[in-house]
Amino acid sequence: MARVLVIDDDRALLQALRVGLTLRGHEVIVAVAGEEGLSKVALEDPEIVILDLGLPDLDGLEVCHRIRQWSEVPIIVLSAIGLESRKVAALDGGANDYVTKPFGMAELEARIRTAIRDHRSDGTPKGDQLVVGELEFDLVHHQVMREGKPIELTAREFDLLAYLARHVGKVCTHQMILEHVWGPEYGTEAEYLRVYVYRLRRKLGDVGGHQLRTSPGIGYSLSAD
Amino acid sequence: MVIGLGAAMFPLRGHLSIATTALILVIPVVIAVAIGGVVAGVVATAAGFLVYDFIFIPPYNTLYVGAAENWVALGVYVIVTIVIAQVVARMNAARREARLRVAEVRRLFDLSELLVRESSMPDLLTTIVETVRRAFDLDSAALLLPVGEGLELVATSGAPLSELELHQVSVDRAVPVSLEAGVVRRGGIQAVALVASGRGIGLLALRGSGGASKDTELLRAFANHLALALERAELGEYAVRAQLLEEVDRLRRSLLGAVSHDLRTPLATIKVSASTLVESSAKVTGPDIRKLGELIVGQADRLERLVSNVLDMTRIQSGALELRRQPTAVADLVDEALSVLGSLAELERVQWQAPADLPLVDVDHVLICQVLANLIDNATRYAPGDTQVTISARRSQDGAVEVAVADRGPGVPANERTSIFQMFNRREAGGRGGLGLAIAQVFVEAHGQRIWIDESDGPGARFVFTLPLADASAGT
Repeated sequence: MARVLVIDDDRALLQALRVGLTLRGHEVIVAVAGEEGLSKVALEDPEIVILDLGLPDLDGLEVCHRIRQWSEVPIIVLSAIGLESRKVAALDGGANDYVTKPFGMAELEARIRTAIRDHRSDGTPKGDQLVVGELEFDLVHHQVMREGKPIELTAREFDLLAYLARHVGKVCTHQMILEHVWGPEYGTEAEYLRVYVYRLRRKLGDVGGHQLRTSPGIGYSLSAD
Repeated sequence: MVIGLGAAMFPLRGHLSIATTALILVIPVVIAVAIGGVVAGVVATAAGFLVYDFIFIPPYNTLYVGAAENWVALGVYVIVTIVIAQVVARMNAARREARLRVAEVRRLFDLSELLVRESSMPDLLTTIVETVRRAFDLDSAALLLPVGEGLELVATSGAPLSELELHQVSVDRAVPVSLEAGVVRRGGIQAVALVASGRGIGLLALRGSGGASKDTELLRAFANHLALALERAELGEYAVRAQLLEEVDRLRRSLLGAVSHDLRTPLATIKVSASTLVESSAKVTGPDIRKLGELIVGQADRLERLVSNVLDMTRIQSGALELRRQPTAVADLVDEALSVLGSLAELERVQWQAPADLPLVDVDHVLICQVLANLIDNATRYAPGDTQVTISARRSQDGAVEVAVADRGPGVPANERTSIFQMFNRREAGGRGGLGLAIAQVFVEAHGQRIWIDESDGPGARFVFTLPLADASAGT
């Protein structure tokens, strides 16, 4: 299915992931330190990187940042709970998603699949059109259509949805969204977002938040499903 | 003296004028007043008057005063001496007063110095009653502090007050006797309120014949000082308690954080392995099942170790765990530590070196095994897979055994070599550490020994700790 590079210093977890991912049809490459991981990203050309934030030689955030300097490979960050600030920093630094330890293989597999698919069908606009799942964005006329019918959105709601659509599948942090949609002088007013996301979900008919997903304490992402 | 002076001047009386004689005779009066006070002054004046009149004013040797100008001289002499006597006497009185004030100020000063020096509450209370009793020369002094609704005796000096006397002082249980009113007498007992910041904070009960009654002012000054000192001590105790609570809270939070982090790491492996077994059960093959099963068992062991370590650590820190020391061979400790870690496949990398004549150590072997296990676990996790982990032991110069666990991994930066042992050091933020090292430090320090990182010797981290020698083998 995919070439997965796992960078983690916990050898037990590496062994378990190697067995689990291989059984699910992935090709698994492992690295136990940051520098080793960086060189394997370059040499082995993985389709996705699973990166633990606690590494012996380099800070996981630093690894993330350095990968992003030359590669757009999707990165899923592994982290223990209670360190929301580091997850946010990793997402701001270019990671696509995060998984909190402990996690099951089904969850990891789902995130790997989403990250790879979204990366392939990268939400970069082709001309003035953008398609995410059933949603078609007309970026010139600021319109969103579903099955040919327009959805009524205010200008700010459209900007927010279009920003998430451009980064489909990627968790966008509160700060990223506020800065890009509201403007650089914003960044801490996460409560604005709650209101807008609530309205958007109602207009999209996405009551449970399956399409416009919440990452509690961190941010939001738009799924192509 | 007047007579002596008169005698001395007698041969010269023909040459001295009446006025000069009068001036000279003022001298003994002044001296008498200065030394003996007003009474001596009056006596000296009278004597001077007689000598002057009898010997120096013609006609000599009679009290009869002849010429009118002699009357004038005698009158002037008397007036001058009286005035001088009064002035000098007043000066003397003022000087005595000043000396008294100096003594009071000194007593107050001594008191405040004592109060500043004393730190613990019980010492302070004893100091207060002792000082008051001595300063006012009393039979007994007692200090009562409000406890709940009433007053409670907390310190006495001298003969203890009887129940009845105490009852008399603290008869108004709710509002201590005139806590606002300063000094009050009640049946032979003097009660002095200690008031600070407008709040009654205690009561001094004094009994004795000493000068306390006439030193009321000073007593109040004392009371003010004592009240302030008491208040300060109270606030100090509050501050210490608050600080302690804060510290306990911080430790508890960091322990929780560390435990939750360190529990999640093995849990992640267990969950990944178990979910693979469940979800891919159709595809999973024999060797994989075995591998995943081993991982689950190994990580479950790690969890178990962690939990019992944390329990032991909190017991040590709360003083509930006593060390069970016994003479033990270091080699046995290493063997046991390796068997504790037994299910980890990494252990083939571990090497053990020690001189054959290594003396026995006096340790709680369960705890020291955990120290070794944590250090070995740490080393095998952080050093690259193909490198060796070396455990060595040697006798140090200061009569202990030094055990070192060294790896060829990336090492520990100099600025982290102390903080790495702290519980709230999060491995997540890069570098190593975590609960294992914090626990190792607590266990080693419970033996009165120390643990540190020595990186003078080549690349990699070298964790060193000392163990006490067992007495029986100290000579070998």
